Amino acid sequence: MPLELASLLDRRLVIVTGKGGTGKTTVAGALALAAAGAGRRVLVVEVGPEENVPPLLVPGPQPVRVGYEGRELRKGLRAMRIDPYEALAEYLGLQIGLRGVVRRVLANRAFRQLMDAAPGWRELITLGKIWHLEQARDAGAPRFDLVVVDAPATGHGLTFLDVPRVVGSAVRAGPLRRHAGWVEALIRDRERTLLLPVALAEELPARETTELVARLRQSVGVSVDRIVVNAVTREPFPPGAADLDARLARLPADLAIPGAPPPAVLAACAAHLRGRCALNGRWAREIAASTGLPVVLLPRLARGVHGPDELAELAAALLARRPLAGAA
Amino acid sequence: MNASADPVQLVRSRRILVCVGTGGVGKTTLAASFALQGARLGRRTAVLTIDPARRLADALGVHELGNQPTVLPRARLAALGVPESGSLSALMLDMKRTFDDLVTRFTDSAEARERILGNRIYQHVSDALAGSAEYSAMEKVFELSERDDLDLIVVDTPPSQHALDFLDAPRRLLEFLDSRLVQVLLHPAFAAGRFGFRLFQRGTERVLHVIERISGVSFLEDISEFLLAFEGMSEGFRERARRVEARLTGPDAAFVLAAGPARESIRHALGLLERLDSAGVPLAGVVVNRTHRWPGGGPTPDCVPEPGREAEALATLAAALAAPGFDSAAAARAAFAAADGYAAWVRADAEATAELAARVERRGGFVRRVPELAGDVHDLEGLALLAEWLFGAREGP
Repeated sequence: MPLELASLLDRRLVIVTGKGGTGKTTVAGALALAAAGAGRRVLVVEVGPEENVPPLLVPGPQPVRVGYEGRELRKGLRAMRIDPYEALAEYLGLQIGLRGVVRRVLANRAFRQLMDAAPGWRELITLGKIWHLEQARDAGAPRFDLVVVDAPATGHGLTFLDVPRVVGSAVRAGPLRRHAGWVEALIRDRERTLLLPVALAEELPARETTELVARLRQSVGVSVDRIVVNAVTREPFPPGAADLDARLARLPADLAIPGAPPPAVLAACAAHLRGRCALNGRWAREIAASTGLPVVLLPRLARGVHGPDELAELAAALLARRPLAGAA
Repeated sequence: MNASADPVQLVRSRRILVCVGTGGVGKTTLAASFALQGARLGRRTAVLTIDPARRLADALGVHELGNQPTVLPRARLAALGVPESGSLSALMLDMKRTFDDLVTRFTDSAEARERILGNRIYQHVSDALAGSAEYSAMEKVFELSERDDLDLIVVDTPPSQHALDFLDAPRRLLEFLDSRLVQVLLHPAFAAGRFGFRLFQRGTERVLHVIERISGVSFLEDISEFLLAFEGMSEGFRERARRVEARLTGPDAAFVLAAGPARESIRHALGLLERLDSAGVPLAGVVVNRTHRWPGGGPTPDCVPEPGREAEALATLAAALAAPGFDSAAAARAAFAAADGYAAWVRADAEATAELAARVERRGGFVRRVPELAGDVHDLEGLALLAEWLFGAREGP
């Protein structure tokens, strides 16, 4: 009986995380696009100094900027980047009024250096803003059906999510404790929130993913129900031809194939793909076994991922309710 | 290509090689491969890694964080062509301890040391303050480069969002210590007489007090205490930071940029290139890892088979592959599809890396493309194979 996964589109908050280079941005973009296509009102949130998702959703010679104010990239799909200082200004402004004073102080270089030295607040204020966005209501209805966060690379991703808990346990009373509690409750809400780790089926990212899941279970208490394994080389040979590269290599070297490279070249290409496919398969199984979680495989696209067309192709695989590997 | 822009020359002549690049491009493996090559050229080499894959760490003989290099067994290295004069050792950086060591070195009393090490702000410093992770890596490199039993130090920089933070880290730390805000906190009486300061100070204090009120944490007190304690050691620290920076940007050191062929990775690499330029750090070269090459060299086809000749090609290959009970037509189609897909990867890589390669070459740097290998590199033999691509033996057209 194959296990059926819950739809990613039914959550309120999906936090996409993964080591650098795993394609976390691609997955966040594909999910947002699919959700918007299914009629959801979606907000993509960038966390960090760069805007990576918007250029994928709206490709062009001039990269589109969304900033803290955010921007509607297509119908039902909005994107923004949370700058912690902007969020701090907004929060302090809400807490004490005096926006002018707050902004002036926050713009001061030395104050920034002081704040740069202070731990934890960036993560907390960023998550606080995400909470605020999740809570946003227009005429009683949620402003966004789904908030997709392109979270920092895994090492930082964990600290990121764990900060409200740490603050909650370190601070005894006051508004901050209350606010941290709200944020922590959202992160731990298994109905509303999902952490979506993205991995590659190679040794280092596979091991990191295993460690990530173990640590998440230990401390943060966020729901994780699947691992996305990206850029998986598809099985290149038809059934019954598993040794195709060897068969090609045995052909006479001088065999002239009209309009095609010689057998040795065909054999080399085939052998490479078979090798990658075997490696990816092995580490995808390893990820499934070591985490005990279903694995959703996304194909490696020969032409790369450049825009909405490729994102749509990946989204179809991403939203598959039946995991392609693992769960065994 | 001039002599300095040759990776072999680099490994032969420099004292410090710094591998920079964003995460996920195989930087650690690259650093290890450079180090192995150094040992093979007869140099006493150390590689400083930050976060190696476990099997690579095992292969390098580093099983846990440690601040002293572990020397690899002679026999193991000899089998890989390392001569008697060469050696290879590895260490996995313990960032917190490196920073603690630094504090210990520059505090003048046990009491001052304890006050810093026990301070709450300091305890977060090793994670949070002004790129201290990057700073401790560079500090360790400097320390190793002072030793006379090592000829070459290869460093794998910490993965970070701003992959060059470590270059700025000493400067930022100094700037912070010198900043007017810090001076105000340290010497409020001195600053109080100056009008502009007073205004600033009042605003700042107000916000800080609000933060304190909201958070219930005595942030100001902790910061002041930390800074007071730090002030005693800041002169020594300052001097040290200056020397680290001078060594890393001087003629002894060379930077190698690691990148992957994916567009995002190339974009990051171009950004890094700009930052290296603006920091005045000359780049020795770039290694594009995991690229695809067209087997056997020659031009990469646009389509396999060529448009209009599909039927002929299929018939010929299917006939050649024919065997009893074997669907040779399906196999031939799969073989063409594999070659066609592979050619697309080769073309995409060439397109994505062209600008980066051109810019590095214009600066007189080298460009090496390392193919995507069928498996992970996780042992010394794998590093040696990688070295063949890096150092020329297998560099194709």
